[in-house]
Amino acid sequence: MRQYITRRLLQMIPVLIGVSILIFLIFQAAPGDALTGMVDPKMSYETKQKIRKQLHLDEPAIVQYKYWVTNAIKGNFGESFYFKQPVGKVMNTYIWNSFYLSLASFLLSVLIAIPIGVISATRQYSFLDYFFTVFALIGISMPSFFFGLLLIKWFAVDAHIFPVSGMMTPGSTAVGFAKFKDVMYHMTLPLIVLTLGSVAGLMRYTRSSMLEVIRQDYVRTARAKGLREKVVIYKHALRNALIPVVTIFGMWLPGLFSGAMITEAIFNWPGIGPIELLAVNNRDYPLLMGVNMLLAFLTLLGNLIADVTYALVDPRIRLK
Amino acid sequence: MNKKLASLAAGLLATMMLFTSCGGGQKTTDTSKKDVAEVIKATDPTKLPEVSKNRKDTLIVGTTAPSGKFNPIYSDSVYDSWVVSLVFDGLISNDEQGNPTPLIAKEWKISEDGKTYTFTLNKGVKFSDGQELTAEDVAFTFTAICDPSYDGPRTDAVSSLVGYKEYNEDKEGKVKEVAGIKVIDKYTISFTLSEPKAPAIYDFAYGIMPKHVYNFEKGNIKPLKDKFLQPVGAGPYLFKNYKAGQEIVFEKNKNYWRGEPKIANIIMKVTNANTVIQELTTGSVDIDRVASKPEQLDLVKKAEFLDIYSYPANSYGYIGWNLRDEKFKDKKVRQALAYGLNRAGFVQAYFKGLGEVCNAPVSKVSWAYTDEVNKYEYNVEKANKLLDEAGWVKKEDGYRYKDGKKFTIHWMTYTGSKYVEALTPILIENWKQIGVEVIPELMEFGTLAQKVYDEQKFEMYNMAWSLSIDPDPSGIFSIEQDKLGGFNSVGWRNDESEKLIKEGLKETDMNKRKEIYHKWVKLANEELPYLFLTYSKDNYAVSAKVKGARLSPFTDWTYDIHKVELVEVAK
Repeated sequence: MRQYITRRLLQMIPVLIGVSILIFLIFQAAPGDALTGMVDPKMSYETKQKIRKQLHLDEPAIVQYKYWVTNAIKGNFGESFYFKQPVGKVMNTYIWNSFYLSLASFLLSVLIAIPIGVISATRQYSFLDYFFTVFALIGISMPSFFFGLLLIKWFAVDAHIFPVSGMMTPGSTAVGFAKFKDVMYHMTLPLIVLTLGSVAGLMRYTRSSMLEVIRQDYVRTARAKGLREKVVIYKHALRNALIPVVTIFGMWLPGLFSGAMITEAIFNWPGIGPIELLAVNNRDYPLLMGVNMLLAFLTLLGNLIADVTYALVDPRIRLK
Repeated sequence: MNKKLASLAAGLLATMMLFTSCGGGQKTTDTSKKDVAEVIKATDPTKLPEVSKNRKDTLIVGTTAPSGKFNPIYSDSVYDSWVVSLVFDGLISNDEQGNPTPLIAKEWKISEDGKTYTFTLNKGVKFSDGQELTAEDVAFTFTAICDPSYDGPRTDAVSSLVGYKEYNEDKEGKVKEVAGIKVIDKYTISFTLSEPKAPAIYDFAYGIMPKHVYNFEKGNIKPLKDKFLQPVGAGPYLFKNYKAGQEIVFEKNKNYWRGEPKIANIIMKVTNANTVIQELTTGSVDIDRVASKPEQLDLVKKAEFLDIYSYPANSYGYIGWNLRDEKFKDKKVRQALAYGLNRAGFVQAYFKGLGEVCNAPVSKVSWAYTDEVNKYEYNVEKANKLLDEAGWVKKEDGYRYKDGKKFTIHWMTYTGSKYVEALTPILIENWKQIGVEVIPELMEFGTLAQKVYDEQKFEMYNMAWSLSIDPDPSGIFSIEQDKLGGFNSVGWRNDESEKLIKEGLKETDMNKRKEIYHKWVKLANEELPYLFLTYSKDNYAVSAKVKGARLSPFTDWTYDIHKVELVEVAK
């Protein structure tokens, strides 16, 4: 197993290099650079050229990539053009806010989706099954932009239950539990929006996996030897049904850090999502490279984790 | 930079909005005092929500997320510059009419030849850490912009100083000083330009940084950049805390040299255009910008406890046409297209009374503005006649042809702006009536900017200019700017215009300068290097509990903030 993991980790290196070249070239192919959008008579052409030179933007893409990659190997991801701060520092500022929100939404989704997935499967074609299916469809098709604004109207403007936006009460210096409470209070509405969107997929996945399992012989055997239905479903069937679901968890890893662009923007949640958009609009290559390389790495890592956990939970699988 | 303002031409304007608090005009008494902002008073201040009523010592102002460059020589969005103007004071400021006014400098003299500016500083101005602000700090601030490693947006303020080039291009550190910056004594400093430049006074509005805090070795400006988030200046507020993407917290500077501020704390809270009305009406924020949309302003009025400040923005929207293109070379064609577009109809449909038709490349609020120009009112007959005269003949298909070529315009415009969405159908329909075919092409703003400025590959495009206070148009319309990457992308080469622009730049007598610009405005109106489109308004909602805010086209909410107070509301 250790050997397998080491090998997989080593394999990541060429993949990441390939990914970095690809991403870099795609960004370079976009028209304009970090200074093109600065349409301002106070930024004369000469000044812009001078800054381009400082940032190496006047050199061919491949040379620019060389600068980036030689620094990146040393752990230096450069300075964001837009923020004029080290890329790591900018990402560190925003990415954890996205992580808290995504993690909360992930946990909540799991807590909701798995039970209703099981219920839907065990009572296939019942009223409840149809109800949850419709619910899932609504969740997956509801635009987060619209739903977010709707929640703000209902709960913030009309009922005054939740705040309109933000992550903490303005000027709050709370720490510890008080801070946690304040953040949760502000997180509620964006959390509902994100969770509604992600419950659907996971629930449908659980349902189909469960449906497959309960038709297996060993489930029939369990029933035949007189076990109670609850034990049959939750002990024998569910465990096996969750094995494919585990792979989804691994894939979820990059999602925890990528930020929810629209939801974060609507609720002014200070996450990385809107920052990525800003970086694209301002052609901030160092920041874009930083974020995308992290996500690429997490995607590979997520796959590895999924494979390893798969082996752990399913004794039929041996990793070599 | 930042295509990010939710205003008239959303994406665009922002790129241009640098320091709203600095800008142009001349030291003068001639500009008549006029009320620049229209204020619609709250109808029932007692409707103020409890949450806001209970917040007695804190003012909350809504803002778009700043980029965190809280430094007078690096800030490049309006929002970053709000932070800067709370924490730093500059040598000069300006009043609501845009005239320069003394701040740290109690007076200044401009030499006969218009090249040397000598400032006398107020004595006893202290930075928030207790050290006195002296001419050395002023020299440091401006020398920092000259540094070879400087990569911010203020170069324009120093590039005409004597000795700038020598200092900036010397990488070995042999040149220790900028020759044009001279500290005369502790409280006197002079700046010498290589050429007279009438708008130069506004370059001295940038905040002064304490040398003992920001000092760095020539050629390595990094230590200064490392202090973006710990700004220290001589301004009315102290920078307390910054949560990126959320808020910035300020506390009053008790020892502020112009008197202790009346509001103990200020919080700039990040809001967005989608929910700004909700933030305002629930009392979450006390001041915020509201889009020029009647529906939005109605909601603000309905809350009854918000004052609305409304004033013409120092900007204009326009359509640029490539004057190198055969079609647009003929003045008659340009004029015909102006007559043939129902601009008044568009303004009415889009702004519903919150905007006006623009006919000249200066803002209505500028002293350079004159109303004595051709209005190009919608007139299909006149347009047709002019096109006939220009040799464009209408054929059976309804379109005009000349030398076998159909009159077709490829119009490049950008996404993400409601303005464009409203303009497109009107423009296509209107011009079709006079036999001109328009094919619009949508693209992202950065792409459009590249095609228009860096490549000059376009027939027609639309954008907006947000202007500085000084009306000097050389940055946009001088022949020198007609080059790849320059801002005279339409290629307007008019000798008369060039002459007037040069004269205006050198003339320091306000009345003469005004005459020059009036002449220039009339010329631009006649020649139409652009098809001028619209003037929009800026609107701010301000809670009735805030007294003394002075919002105008040239002053934002941070202006004289130490005099602003929070009061108990009453009917």
